[in-house]
Amino acid sequence: MNDAERPIAQKSQLAYWIFQLTGWGLFTLIRFIGGVVVLEFSWTRLALELLLLNGVGLFVSHWLRDFVRRHHWSALPIRKLIWRIIVAAFVLGAPLGIVTQFTDLSAFHDPAFLKAYAPALNFQLTLSASIAVEIVNWAIVFLVWLTIYFAAIGVREHRSAQLKQSELARALQLAELRLLKSQLNPHFLFNALNTVRSLIADNPARAQDAVTRLAKTLRYTLTSPQDELVTLSQELDIVVDYLELESMRFEDRLRIEIRVPDAAAGVHIPVMLLQTLVENAIKHGIAELPAGGLLRVSATVQNEMLMLDVENPRPPATTRTAREGVGLQNARQRLRLLFGARASLELDLSNSSVTTARLRIPVNP
Amino acid sequence: MKAMIIDDEPPARRELRRLLAGFPWVEIVGEAGNIDQAAEMVETLTPELLFLDIQMPGGSGFDLLTRLEDVPQVIFTTAYDEHAVRAFKVDALDYLLKPIEPARLAEALGRVKSAHAARTPQPAAALEQIFVRDGSRCWFVPLREVRLLSSEGNYIRLSWGKSQPLLGRALAALEQRLDPNRFFRANRRQIINLDFIESVELGVNGRLHAQLRDGPEVEISRRQARLFKTKMSI
Repeated sequence: MNDAERPIAQKSQLAYWIFQLTGWGLFTLIRFIGGVVVLEFSWTRLALELLLLNGVGLFVSHWLRDFVRRHHWSALPIRKLIWRIIVAAFVLGAPLGIVTQFTDLSAFHDPAFLKAYAPALNFQLTLSASIAVEIVNWAIVFLVWLTIYFAAIGVREHRSAQLKQSELARALQLAELRLLKSQLNPHFLFNALNTVRSLIADNPARAQDAVTRLAKTLRYTLTSPQDELVTLSQELDIVVDYLELESMRFEDRLRIEIRVPDAAAGVHIPVMLLQTLVENAIKHGIAELPAGGLLRVSATVQNEMLMLDVENPRPPATTRTAREGVGLQNARQRLRLLFGARASLELDLSNSSVTTARLRIPVNP
Repeated sequence: MKAMIIDDEPPARRELRRLLAGFPWVEIVGEAGNIDQAAEMVETLTPELLFLDIQMPGGSGFDLLTRLEDVPQVIFTTAYDEHAVRAFKVDALDYLLKPIEPARLAEALGRVKSAHAARTPQPAAALEQIFVRDGSRCWFVPLREVRLLSSEGNYIRLSWGKSQPLLGRALAALEQRLDPNRFFRANRRQIINLDFIESVELGVNGRLHAQLRDGPEVEISRRQARLFKTKMSI
């Protein structure tokens, strides 16, 4: 048993003893009251007999619990379990029934008593019949006990199965999210390194700047698996570094415009999501056009929703792949897992010269 | 040796130029940033060697090669597309990964140099190799290895080893650029490589049947048969 299971086991042990003592206690009390009030027995003797008998009953049922646990009855199919419960109830009920016959409690079967209480019945019980009745009575007690016990076990197992199911679902979701989170594009990485190599000779100060920005971008991507959500301004920091590196590569082919008001800067977005959109805009927009163009990132907050648009010039249809890339599909899947139906990501292709990725995310998730 | 650098990223072009400064026998005659510009410059400057990036705006390096009539030696330069290059069915080709290692560049240039030296002198205008793209596969096809060129509409089917790639050109246009000492027009639809002829048999009406090594039997029309006999001095 490991540490995590221990408190649960202690809790169920306590519950077991509460059930045990309450059950037997109530059973004893009812018989005691019945004996004293109805049959007008001497209450001291009755109390002694009941305590002894039911004490044995309690002890036997506790031993029974141990027995069924050792033999893993709870794992049995229901049909086999029912048969075992019935047999066990009679096997245990027999000795107790015989003993009971020799106590005052057997007076319930006394002909005089029966005549007084139910004259219409007018029937006599032989000794063996009386013993049989006592055995059946005890068997019923153990039947009820076992039924309650296995019902409780069943409920507990069902609950823990449900718990495991939901834990599993959560773990799966986390794994899925981790998988969907976009990784740094190796194409970008090697091109950036090539740019740095070139800048070392062309412009050492710029090369230094490029290395710092590349290090920041790498660090962000490598540590991002730890967080699910970041503020838009955190993500923008890295997007700006990334775009600076890309503009060193593309030089005057890449023009950048970023408009993010303060109201939008603090909104939480999935980490690396804006980065993915900007990377797509470079890959399918700027990099495809000999003359390049303007990449625009703009954000607004309206009705508790963050609206984030990433625009890029659209290459002629011949060189543009019409189907959506894996990156966009993964981003959409992540949004669904994190925000359900309240967030959305659409690619607006209605304008023939501009492609716009439109992201909608609730301000308060 | 005249060389051209084709890459859409100015820093990448500058870096390669710097690296090539260590090889004075490589003369950089031009630079291009996209394939339209490159195609034009290759036709006018006739470089013997291309340093060619794969991902470029307006079309890939492969697109450029399919557009060129006369394909020079090519060294691909790429940041991450080596799988695209490796997928090629070519051995006459090299590729360099960016950032380029000076040692790898020297190695690649060494290979270019020895390939250049081993070249048999050709009539100036004759094509040596063509670049063929058929579906997702690409080949640099040395013409001396092609045994048969068959016209299929506006295309040419090349019989080359076990492959039969389709070339997007008309047979009549290509014929003018073929080495006349090696290739012979057998009939209206077919040009054969004389090096591959195993045997020739006489047919009816003065026609000839030429059996090609590893290939089909080709009929030489009556008119061409006379030419063939003169040429082969049979």
